[in-house]
Amino acid sequence: MHRKNIVFVLNEYNGLGGAQRVASILAKEFIKDKHNVAVLSINEKKGEISYFNFKIPVKVLHPNGYRAPMPIEIAPNLRSLKLRKVIKELKRRYLLKKKRLEVEKFFSTYGDEEVFVIVVQVYGMQWLEPLLYKKNIRIIGQSHESYKASKNSFRFKRILKYYRQIDKFLLLTSKDKQSFEMHDFTNTGVVYNPTAFRQKTDPRKRYKNKTIISTGRLVDNKGFDILIQAFSEISQQIPDWNLFIYGDGPEKANLQALIEALNLKNRVFLKGKVEDVKSVLTISSIFVLTSRAEGLPMSLIEAQSCGLPCISTDCAPGIREIIKEYKNGYVGPVDDIQVIARHMKRLILNENLFYSFSNNAYDHSAKFDLSNIRKQWYSIFEQLGGRKDESTTE
Amino acid sequence: MKVLQNKFMPKLSVVVIAYNNELYIEEALESLADQTYSNLEVVVVNDSSTDSTGIIIDKFIKGKPNFKAIHLKENSGGCSVPRNTGISNSTGEYIMFLDGDDWYTKDACEKMVVALNKTDSDFVAGQVIRTNNYEVWYYRQIYSRERLHINIREFPILFFDSLSVNKIYKRSFLNKHNLRFPEGIHYEDIVFTGKAYFLADSVSIIPEPIYYWRVVEDAEVKSITNQRYDFKNLKNRIEAHRQLDDFLKLNNAFLYQSHKNNKFLRHDLKLYTNDYLYYDEDYKEKFHKLIFDYLNEVMDPYAFIILPEKERIMYYLLFMGDREGFEDFIYYKNGFSTKQDRLYNVGKQYYFQTTNSRSNIKCEKFLKLDKVEINYRLEDISLKENEFSFDGIVELNSINQKEFTVLWILKNRQTRESIYGKQLKSNRVVFDITSLNFGNFYLTILINHLGNTHKKIVKFSNIIGDCNIKITSSVSTKRIFVNHKNSLAIQVTPVKLTKKVIWKFKRRKLLKNNDKASIVSSIINYICKRIIEKLPVKKNWILFESHMGKQFSDSPKYIYLELCKKKRRKYKFFWSLEQPDLIDIPGSAKKVKRNSLKHYYYLNRSKYWVDNQGMAHLTKKKSDQVYLQTWHGTPLKKMGYEQKGILEKNEKKKLKLQTRSWDYFISPNPYSTKVFKKAFRYSGEVLEVGYPRNDILKNFSKMTADNIRRKLDIANANKIILFAPTFRDWEPDAFRKIYYDLYKISQCIKDTNTILLIRLHYLLSDKLSNIQLPYNIKNVSSYQDIQELYLITDILITDYSSVMFDFSILNRPIIFYCYDLEEYIARRGTYFNLVNKAPGPICRSINEVLYFINNSEELSKYLEDVKGFRSEFGMLEDGNATSRVISKIFN
Repeated sequence: MHRKNIVFVLNEYNGLGGAQRVASILAKEFIKDKHNVAVLSINEKKGEISYFNFKIPVKVLHPNGYRAPMPIEIAPNLRSLKLRKVIKELKRRYLLKKKRLEVEKFFSTYGDEEVFVIVVQVYGMQWLEPLLYKKNIRIIGQSHESYKASKNSFRFKRILKYYRQIDKFLLLTSKDKQSFEMHDFTNTGVVYNPTAFRQKTDPRKRYKNKTIISTGRLVDNKGFDILIQAFSEISQQIPDWNLFIYGDGPEKANLQALIEALNLKNRVFLKGKVEDVKSVLTISSIFVLTSRAEGLPMSLIEAQSCGLPCISTDCAPGIREIIKEYKNGYVGPVDDIQVIARHMKRLILNENLFYSFSNNAYDHSAKFDLSNIRKQWYSIFEQLGGRKDESTTE
Repeated sequence: MKVLQNKFMPKLSVVVIAYNNELYIEEALESLADQTYSNLEVVVVNDSSTDSTGIIIDKFIKGKPNFKAIHLKENSGGCSVPRNTGISNSTGEYIMFLDGDDWYTKDACEKMVVALNKTDSDFVAGQVIRTNNYEVWYYRQIYSRERLHINIREFPILFFDSLSVNKIYKRSFLNKHNLRFPEGIHYEDIVFTGKAYFLADSVSIIPEPIYYWRVVEDAEVKSITNQRYDFKNLKNRIEAHRQLDDFLKLNNAFLYQSHKNNKFLRHDLKLYTNDYLYYDEDYKEKFHKLIFDYLNEVMDPYAFIILPEKERIMYYLLFMGDREGFEDFIYYKNGFSTKQDRLYNVGKQYYFQTTNSRSNIKCEKFLKLDKVEINYRLEDISLKENEFSFDGIVELNSINQKEFTVLWILKNRQTRESIYGKQLKSNRVVFDITSLNFGNFYLTILINHLGNTHKKIVKFSNIIGDCNIKITSSVSTKRIFVNHKNSLAIQVTPVKLTKKVIWKFKRRKLLKNNDKASIVSSIINYICKRIIEKLPVKKNWILFESHMGKQFSDSPKYIYLELCKKKRRKYKFFWSLEQPDLIDIPGSAKKVKRNSLKHYYYLNRSKYWVDNQGMAHLTKKKSDQVYLQTWHGTPLKKMGYEQKGILEKNEKKKLKLQTRSWDYFISPNPYSTKVFKKAFRYSGEVLEVGYPRNDILKNFSKMTADNIRRKLDIANANKIILFAPTFRDWEPDAFRKIYYDLYKISQCIKDTNTILLIRLHYLLSDKLSNIQLPYNIKNVSSYQDIQELYLITDILITDYSSVMFDFSILNRPIIFYCYDLEEYIARRGTYFNLVNKAPGPICRSINEVLYFINNSEELSKYLEDVKGFRSEFGMLEDGNATSRVISKIFN
């Protein structure tokens, strides 16, 4: 295979988010295939651990932690003498211009070799604007959340502004793709997130773990309060089962208080951050996700790849891409404690059902197998390959 | 205690129906077992399921005394039998329904019972949540807030609610009216709920989620009510609607049929027309038959007139049984080409043509279209330092390609600068962008279709091929830019920062010019005007104006030219014009922009005003100023105070202001003098001397005529026909008919050497400017002086315009094209009978006009009449009118 230049653009290369996870898995794979891979990181989280723990060049654009705000108009603010706002905006414009030059310089090191730029998170695209007009550079933009979630955020504006002229705009599900096509995007496509590992375990063994697991940052959006309350509803009926939540975040104290209030100190455990997800999945039985907004959650994909039946709130079209209801898991409405609780109970009290869900889960996860996803990426590269017509540019 | 509980916690029966719901039935029952309301009786009716549903039910109800199962012996094929069975096998005071694949929210029953207790309504409805989007089904408006004691007769939007499961009913209410689900049909909910709403005195609604409706999107087998491709499904739905229609008729509720029709059209029928393209031939045929019958049974076309455009037209065509028209309309709306061109316009309004060949006029109101669909694409985009070009293909769906012309524009929205693209022979469009200013220039398509302009901003998604192009020169960067709304622009940015700052200031200035006058400048304006009014009149200043500043023409022009020649006194001349830069005026006259401050100055200081229409409203005329009103033609239609229709008070006031300010009035003949005096109630001096503008018709030389031909680029050998129709003020768009007439004439003139000049009324002069005309037709609407055109004209075609009086002086043939003679007379009124006096044939159709054009001998027979006409209306025209006027006033 021809050696390709591939650059991942991330908000921060370190930290244990889903986007970093996806990018690191792909990067590792591309490196294994002998491609020339680099990371362009807009910011960095000082001192945090990273999935990029292998050898890979990383360029940080704003090492001092500057975070660009949304653009504003200067004139009206100047008129109403909101000088601080004006200065902030001027600074944004100045830095954007300066850093764009830096990005151009960074990419000039590739000469006129073909470069594939994968913008994993929308935010980073604003610094890449000059690259749109470079004939050797192909830009692939991603949005790692559902259409609905992005619509409710300022990222939507950025997508509309910066993702129109890029070569490919990749969504996580075909439903999200359709939604963006309603906004006249013609460059859309779909690629799933890959899983770095798949592991088949004996469902009987898995059941015996008697552990419900969930992972994610402890923030409101992840809805762990719902999960804890749902567990509490049925805790009497499943006396020897426990709930383990892995992750850290600002909601930790709140959630701990909730656990204590529900008298579940000996049943529900906030276990803190974990780097090696696979090992904790190995010792669990059921994965439950109670998020309020998602894309195509890596945590679900990875749990399924280990043969865990999954239960999730219906918080994004991506959920139903992973969970096939009544085959390998259950889906319920967002914030609906009762339905989640009943689903957990059903799965736990029907051992045979659990076995068949567990087997189906592992089989279904082939869809996210790295070898499959890798192939899809190469076909996108191929589709975008071949240089732009020289004659139209000067 | 027991009594109290019964009163506030009456027994509620929930009827659950299940048919092959093995996946979901447990969840449905769990949601009932977990209810917060305790006085609950559950009756599960298993409609003879073939899967394990029955087993699951039996297992679930074991040990639950308030749960009861009924297994039907044979499948009923619908929901009605099981629900009715449930009703008769339950005992609760209140009743609710649940389907086996759905579920209730945790406190649904409690909330519903409380609401029914509190309101004492006949039934209460709560929100339904569908699991495909978790939004409230169906009409948000109905369920968005609490509504107490409403009735469908005051709140007809309730027709849109045809769900039975999200409600709690009093058993006494169902029994009193013997209300049950109709057996033997599908869509039992439409009938049941419709009846329930009409039978209820009082209904209440609580804005709380009660019921989860499971929507399985990738299901292999769709649920009964979702199999729209099976014709039986449509038949069942119509059958349900017919049952409800009968009910309305029998229960004296037919007054509300129109609301029901509205719901049927907006909701039910729409579901089926949306899928129309996917139906097979057999389905389509049955569909048209059934829908035609049903629509004609219960409604008339006025049921459609309140609908949005698409539905209005679709259903009208279905109602008329016009299948081809309906199919073409579906194609049209989906961007496919239609079997025949269906769109046509009358003036600005577009319509969809039915297949029926009879006249569309009476039903046009049902077939109105707001806009035409424009399909376009751009290919092979190229951007260079000095040139931006692409292949542009534009189509108007269902409109003949030959009827419209396309103009491409790059426009800066802020400064309003714009440049036009050149269309080469192929589809190539080329813009010269060498001197483009800085800014974003958005690409826009302007389409001119029979005088109507349609605008389309070019979207990035309509571009085929790659177009991320950037070009940098020493001064500027030009690049293709796409904004967040997907519009395509050429963005020009300065390279140097200094240039950028300078440009920002320049843009501010440009922007300011477009703004309305600032307060400061309007104050200055006000002060200046008050000062100007105080200034004395200059004795040798003359201000001219013709047709409200639109032209340099008519009698004011010829008086001006004559005065220039004489130079006896040192007069200073001023011409008031709307667009002074575009009009050349020979001699020493100073051009001023009408309505400017400068204009106001000359208006106040000139002793003489020479005008052919009216300018007295522009300022207060001083007593030592002299106003010469030349007027602009011998009157045929009624004018002034005699206009048809009653003049409004302020119109009369305006007219009075004008006529009272005239000092001299020029009349071309005694007939006109009489008419003018009466029509304008004018008592001042009338100069009955003939029209100054007509002197040229007497005095011209061949050289003058040749010069005019040269100006228009017409060879001497060419025969010239001038077509000068007048204005129809009740229908300003009537000139669009001319377009068709022009093409007809162009095609049917036998003599290939003939050129037709088209001149529109001065109020419409720019209407043809962007339209491409056939080779033998020339638009002279913007030619300043029509008098000059007479000189080179061999045949005149006109209708009711005063040009007939002037032209008759030349003693050349005139054809009258009066297709709307009666209407014109009825609307405007005339001073004499045109039919009797017209000096030429009166044609009622363009074919008759063509007959006379092509048979010059026939036409020349009318030359005698021209002579007679001239001697009646043009006897004063001897070529010296101007000098008579001048000697009277400017001595």
